[in-house]
Amino acid sequence: MSPATKAVFELVPYLLAFGVGALIPRRQGTLERVAIGVVAALSLALVRGLWPAAADAATPAVAPPEEWPHLLNVIVFVPILGALFVLFLPRQTPALLRRVTMGVLGLDLLASLMLLRVPMSRGWHFQYVVDWLPSFGIRYHVAIDGVSLWMVLLSTVTTPIAAYVSFGSIKKRTKELCFSILLLHGAMLGAFVSLDLFLFYVFWELMLVPMIILIGVWGGVEKIKAAYKFFLYTMAGSVLMLAAILYLVWTHKSLAGYATFDYLALANVVLPRTAAWLCFGAFALAFVIKVPMFPLHTWLPDAHVQAPTGGSIILAAVLLKLGTYGYIRFCMGLFGGPAWSAAANLAGLAVGGGILYGALVAWRQDDIKRLVAYSSVAHMGFVMLGLFSGTRPGVEGAILQMVNHGISTGALFLLVGVIYDRRHTREVREFGGLAKVMPVYAAVFVLVTMSSIGVPGTNGFVGEFMIIMGTFVSLPLGSHGGLQAVLAAFGVILAAVYMLAVVQKMFFGPLTNPKNAQLSDLNVRETIALAPLVALIFIIGLFPSLFLERTRDSVQVVLERYTEGRKSFQEMDPSSTVARLLPRRGGALETGYPEPPGQVDAKPPDPSTPEAEAALDPQQGQP
Amino acid sequence: MTFDVVYGLSPLLVVALGALLLMLAEAFGKPNPQGLAPTGEVSDAGAGRAGELGMGAAVVLFVGAALSLGVWLAGPDNLVGLELTRPYLIWDRFTVFVCFTLCLGGGLSCLLAGGYLTEHEIDRAEFFPLVLFSTVGAMALAAAGELLTLFVALETMSLGVYALVGLRRTPRSSEAALKYFLLGSFAAALMLFGAALLYGATGRTDLAGIGQAIAAIGQGEGPGAAQVLIALVLVVVGLAFKVSAVPFHMWTPDAYEGAPTPATSYMAVAVKTAAFAVMVRVLLIAFGDERLTSWASGWPPVLATLAVASMTVANLVAGRQSSVKRMLAYSSIAHAGYALVAVVATIRSPAAEGSILFYLLTYTVSTAGAFGALILCGSRGKEAVSYEDLAGIAKRHPAAAMAFSLFLLSLAGVPPTAGFFGKLYVFQAAIDAELYVLTVVGLLNSLVGAYYYLRVIVFMYMREPAPGATLAVPMRSGYVASALVIAAVLVIALGVLPNVTLEWAAIATVGRS
Amino acid sequence: MLETYLPMLFIFVIALTIGAVMFFGGQLIGPKNPTPEKMMPFECGNDSQGTAGVRLNVKFYLTAILFVVFDIEVVFIYPWAALFKSLGWTGFATMLAFIAALLIALAYCWKKGALEWES
Repeated sequence: MSPATKAVFELVPYLLAFGVGALIPRRQGTLERVAIGVVAALSLALVRGLWPAAADAATPAVAPPEEWPHLLNVIVFVPILGALFVLFLPRQTPALLRRVTMGVLGLDLLASLMLLRVPMSRGWHFQYVVDWLPSFGIRYHVAIDGVSLWMVLLSTVTTPIAAYVSFGSIKKRTKELCFSILLLHGAMLGAFVSLDLFLFYVFWELMLVPMIILIGVWGGVEKIKAAYKFFLYTMAGSVLMLAAILYLVWTHKSLAGYATFDYLALANVVLPRTAAWLCFGAFALAFVIKVPMFPLHTWLPDAHVQAPTGGSIILAAVLLKLGTYGYIRFCMGLFGGPAWSAAANLAGLAVGGGILYGALVAWRQDDIKRLVAYSSVAHMGFVMLGLFSGTRPGVEGAILQMVNHGISTGALFLLVGVIYDRRHTREVREFGGLAKVMPVYAAVFVLVTMSSIGVPGTNGFVGEFMIIMGTFVSLPLGSHGGLQAVLAAFGVILAAVYMLAVVQKMFFGPLTNPKNAQLSDLNVRETIALAPLVALIFIIGLFPSLFLERTRDSVQVVLERYTEGRKSFQEMDPSSTVARLLPRRGGALETGYPEPPGQVDAKPPDPSTPEAEAALDPQQGQP
Repeated sequence: MTFDVVYGLSPLLVVALGALLLMLAEAFGKPNPQGLAPTGEVSDAGAGRAGELGMGAAVVLFVGAALSLGVWLAGPDNLVGLELTRPYLIWDRFTVFVCFTLCLGGGLSCLLAGGYLTEHEIDRAEFFPLVLFSTVGAMALAAAGELLTLFVALETMSLGVYALVGLRRTPRSSEAALKYFLLGSFAAALMLFGAALLYGATGRTDLAGIGQAIAAIGQGEGPGAAQVLIALVLVVVGLAFKVSAVPFHMWTPDAYEGAPTPATSYMAVAVKTAAFAVMVRVLLIAFGDERLTSWASGWPPVLATLAVASMTVANLVAGRQSSVKRMLAYSSIAHAGYALVAVVATIRSPAAEGSILFYLLTYTVSTAGAFGALILCGSRGKEAVSYEDLAGIAKRHPAAAMAFSLFLLSLAGVPPTAGFFGKLYVFQAAIDAELYVLTVVGLLNSLVGAYYYLRVIVFMYMREPAPGATLAVPMRSGYVASALVIAAVLVIALGVLPNVTLEWAAIATVGRS
Repeated sequence: MLETYLPMLFIFVIALTIGAVMFFGGQLIGPKNPTPEKMMPFECGNDSQGTAGVRLNVKFYLTAILFVVFDIEVVFIYPWAALFKSLGWTGFATMLAFIAALLIALAYCWKKGALEWES
């Protein structure tokens, strides 16, 4: 068979899916048919990419397929360039702007599916390194592993949905909307794949502006207050993180003789106790604000309630994940010791302030969107608990739960947006008996609720189960692990209570409010947006190993680093003020390690000399 | 030999010559119809020609910048003849880098003035010769290696600016000019007194010689330590006035607000840049003795206090302003604070001098751009002054709003803009010098600063103008627009690919012993 | 080093004291018997007219400034004249440039009408 015919044969299933998708809905316009068909084909591609058997059948199992080094560059810069391109399009043509945006996002989704073709073995994949600012030791270094892979895919799947939904409800200032969404998307992806701390920081900050615009321009009544709050919280975390990054880089420079911002190199630095705690604190603060964890969560309900639906989806599905992702990658990777020592207390906070408090507050909300926002606090508490447990099931479950939360909370926000567009209110008591007028809507809502509270068979169950299991056997949590697991399990019950209560009030019982009698059910646009999310709920719920297999090796690596960091931290004399550099690990984990520029000044200084000791004493030199 | 001198000093000479020619052109050029009095007599030959004269001045200054670049590439160290000018003018890489920044800032301000003066019908084309002369003074100040040259250069720079502030002749403008003049002269007098004491103590007027004499203190025949310390305090206070560091900043908000906006832009960028350059040179060469650069007995704690006060006070006060121009004035004080952190860092970090230079460059493009965008948002009689004036401007003039946002983000230090790298470099130098507390204070301050920059963006994009309010009508001007394009390109270029500039800044040191 | 200036300080203090004593002493200890005539400003026996502050025409200041500007040049030209030989052609060229700049300034003032008294 010639390659051309082979390619044609490979295309057949997609065409079939496209055809089926396009033919099913009757009485719709051509455009909608095409859109549904495209969604169907894309979903098929996603599933085929996920399935290891399908991937194996498509490519011979002898060697993993070639990794195209520019793939990540394409994924990150297609949206950013798209955002710049949008700037130059005339603002009088909203339809063109929307189409370009959707096209760019679709292209990005396709490109990100290519990531699934490679099995995520130990080490970095699709790595691309090039010098950016050699005088500072800053490089453009991007790569993914099993952790960031899912974050990238989560963004590329949810952002098009959020954009598509936004285009349905937002009709003014389309140009700014398209620009913000594309820029935000690119920045989030960039933050997930950067392995250079500087690059990470740049993308991290770059997300700020478009998100503020999303909240502040198309938000609700209190949009400006919410935008300020979001901005100040995030910025407060990130400036301290920048200080910690600079300190870490400087320590590495004084130890190894050359400056670098590279994650791989900085992970080898073992800071003295005080410095390590301070730097861990600065990093953790930035991420914990983003997650957000009690008591720094207060920006989240405001931001969610005020943001437009699309903004809420992006915020919940992807932006919050940057906090947890950052915690895995940087707090656990760079400061294993303090992270390990702080885990028990922080886990208590995650359970008490996140899972239980979030659930109880959610229960008392009258505003559905606020309720979903607080439920998001509770869910992120689960994720953090899994990370603090430091066990394999816990961390794997946390990563899976991040994806789950993105899907189910994103879907919930979408559903809340649907009802808000129709009634312009989100008060629970305004509704009742909606199942009679909007049967499909009610069905989907119930389904997503099931996923959110973790009913077996849906995605939520797998993640929460694994996290609780991991918490039970966790080492860093010690004797508290059991109690925390039990409390977390209780949190699951609470989640069921408040979610089901609201479902019951909204959808069942008599149709009391006459204003609700004429509501229309889901329209085509909303259906198209929801379909992939609902599909994913079941795919993950029934076949979680598709996801877990790809994260397994990387989680192993994360935990190795974590344990190693803790060991070297505990071995250190508590009164010591000297930083150390661990020996290079070598192997697949350190491909792309920043080599010293020239071998002249690369000799490691002797840590026992008084100069080195004085140079690293954080107490000295303060005014 | 002569060629070396002429080529080396060419930025200075070209700008000086340009100033003279522009003066003649302003006086003798053919007047525009607008400049004619109703009777047909020539009331003011320069009137109505602000545009073309502004273009001329900008071209002269950009040529100056290009020549600075040329001198840099040739390497001032390779131009042996430049030894002749020492110690009066020290023409090293540090100076040349500063000259480039000064010419750039001056050129952008002239372009802005070309549009602004025409739009607001301020018939004062003297603006341009004044800016050029002032820039000559600023360049000489940056190069000054000797107290007399320093003083003459300082006055040359300042006198022009005093006149620029009062150019508009409104009561407000005159008050600002008078205030600035009085306090500026006061500061100059303090400097002069300090210089006199230094001469009395050491018998030298060249900075290097003073430095040697101070190093000899306590080794037998040295001068009195008390006198040197008093001189140090006086000189630092005089310079702190010029860079407008808290608590010597009282004149700044009034002068910045009262001056015509392009003049404000010029003051904020060029005067400050030159003052910082001379501050670094004086502190490191004349007062570079290790006893004076220690925390226990020297200037670092004084400057650190000034830095913390400038950042904190200015940022807190800036957030409470209702006038955007006044807010930018306070923001420039805060930026002086960040730069002062880097000045303190020079005591232990060899990278700090470069960080100051790079910071000043990024500050110059961002600030000139921000003032330019503010100019673009208003027009005659409908100037954009307060936050309310800017409400909803994103709809009326998207390009101006976008440009303004870009410059504000750069001032706030959001990546990937120039301002971010400037701040990063400064704080990295501070960490290098183990100034952890200063770094954290600075970073927290940049957070506070981000709040009020964001406020402008919020007003432009997210607020609707109050019904019935008089709207600021954006103006149309090719001059202002081109200045903004230049500044925006530089802000982005320095934010994304700052590598060459960073490397250059790193080797531009004052050559302390 | 500063001690050498101590006598100077004493002289200043003594001079100030004597001046102050003479100035305020008379007022303090002298007899006072004010009458309206005594309180009037003395102006050659005439009744005084107008206020104490007299406004001078701004043109005087302009002329004064111009005088200062162009007169001070002499300060620069004298040393050059004294060292004319040793400075040679370089000095000559420098001075020419200096005078050219002055001429430009003069032309500017002229054209701008600074030299016209009546206008």
